[in-house]
Amino acid sequence: MCRTTDRVVFVAALGCAVIACGVLLSIVAAIAIRGLPAVSWHFLTEQIRLVGAAGGIFYNLVGTLLLIATAGAISTPLAMGIALTHSYYLPEGRARRNLSLLLYALNGTPSILFGIAGLIIFVKYFGWGKSWLSGGILLGFLILPTVTVSLVERIKVLPGKYIEAAAGLGLTRSQIVSSVVLPQSMSGLITGLLLGLARAAGETAPIMFTATIFAGATFPAGVKESPVLSMPYHIFILCQDSYDPGVSAKVWGTATVLLGLVFLLSLIVLPMRLKVHEEAKNA
Amino acid sequence: MTPTRVLTPGESLFLAPRRQWDLVRASSYGFTAVTVLALAVALTLLVWQNLPIWGHSGEGYFTGKNWYFRHQAFGMLPMLYGTIAVSVIALLLAGPIGIGAAVFAGEYLPARARMVMKLMIELLAGIPSVVYGLLGILILRNYVYDSLRAMGMDPLSGDSLLTAGLLLAVMVLPTVMTLADDALRGVSPIQRQAARGLGLSQGQSILFVLLPQAGRGLVAAVLLALGRALGEAIAVFLVVGRQDNQWPRFPFAPDSLINAGQTLASKLGGAETNIAYGDPVHWAAVVGLGLILLSVVITVTLLSAWIQRRGEAHV
Repeated sequence: MCRTTDRVVFVAALGCAVIACGVLLSIVAAIAIRGLPAVSWHFLTEQIRLVGAAGGIFYNLVGTLLLIATAGAISTPLAMGIALTHSYYLPEGRARRNLSLLLYALNGTPSILFGIAGLIIFVKYFGWGKSWLSGGILLGFLILPTVTVSLVERIKVLPGKYIEAAAGLGLTRSQIVSSVVLPQSMSGLITGLLLGLARAAGETAPIMFTATIFAGATFPAGVKESPVLSMPYHIFILCQDSYDPGVSAKVWGTATVLLGLVFLLSLIVLPMRLKVHEEAKNA
Repeated sequence: MTPTRVLTPGESLFLAPRRQWDLVRASSYGFTAVTVLALAVALTLLVWQNLPIWGHSGEGYFTGKNWYFRHQAFGMLPMLYGTIAVSVIALLLAGPIGIGAAVFAGEYLPARARMVMKLMIELLAGIPSVVYGLLGILILRNYVYDSLRAMGMDPLSGDSLLTAGLLLAVMVLPTVMTLADDALRGVSPIQRQAARGLGLSQGQSILFVLLPQAGRGLVAAVLLALGRALGEAIAVFLVVGRQDNQWPRFPFAPDSLINAGQTLASKLGGAETNIAYGDPVHWAAVVGLGLILLSVVITVTLLSAWIQRRGEAHV
């Protein structure tokens, strides 16, 4: 009887693992097989022509990079402030729990809500129209929980002796924070930031009403009425209303480049994350 | 006698003297305040702009089955149904498969292979939703259409609640697997040893000890995945058909699932969001969909966190 149970449990678990990994890997394969032939140097450096049927995605790439760079610049100071407030300045108890809860709720918020809020605030109230800056700000808030939590986790495992040693040297609290805590937990900030940017790069919903258009934008010159092109929105529009095989090749190509960017951003921090993992195990 | 214990870094920091004017502290509080204030303003604006619809439709906003904005009819019930239908399909598939895969990784794979699988799955969790949408629109919906035809059914197209549910299942699979793996890791080794010591075989100890012990964490994992599925706009938008006012003969009627529908999030992703702004009532109705979605998703997400925290407190 227990041989049978063992076998059933093993086969069921194996089956699930094979299905799960099989589906997920075949997704990457399906995109790469269709998309890689379309990707070339010209694809990355030429601008879009014939409504996406020809040319490349240069300005889409520029737009996406600009959006995520802005998002990173917005969320870095906010995440540092919140992480320090959370770890050091708020007393343990209700206030700190509420701050965690807020980050949790923000992390769970569907990304389309960022788009709706951005439409009201930036597009209409501020009168910016579609602007790269509103997209960057929205994405910055979208990834804020990821960045903050990663930093908080790193601060949590800082050895207490570092701070005691610094206090013993007569440093004030702010000096300890700026010269010991922040430099020592930089890896947590960078990890969270790159993972966050990987997510921001692929988001469509927050920027579709607020920051990005399909064609006709280059480098933005100001803030008002300064949309950018972007890779996710490019895919979103093209895959809906075109059955032209030329377009189809370009869409898969764009998806491959986007996926490449997302994977690159997540893989850069992999050694750092593994190292932290090892340290945690050895400690 | 006071017991001696090691101070946490946070506590030992407070042994250091503090200047009257502490720039780091002031700016930390400042950035936190800016964030909290910005989120509060955004939420207040959404609630305030949503008010007109309650005067216009009252509870009919929830219970109405018709949404014709040109006739000022705003009933969201079919969209609620669509949202629930696609999420339930997704979780029924992704829940068991994700948990099963996590059991396999944790119990049968050597540590190194498990690590590789975990990292791979985390990487795949980062695939953007628009890319899933692209796969859905160019591959999955044709496949669903052909399969349904082969089974003797007659759907109008491959765009359906079922297609959206299948796509969502794949999308939330990494979330379920990663969190289920964490939950299974959290079961203390003592429990495992006790199970083996009692003479349970590996399969029995998984079924009767490991899974029940990790129960809370597994529920939390599925709930968090549910939160993601409910709120997904872009991928669902591309394959759900976006047909308003589709009300089933009875809940989960098969013919309603293989035909086009609409979810709260896919509605918000559509052109109506841009059209609606000029008309206060129409805009209020659209914003309201977002607020309903937000409250449901945040409830589910916080519930997941609460269940998990209670589980940890028990250990």
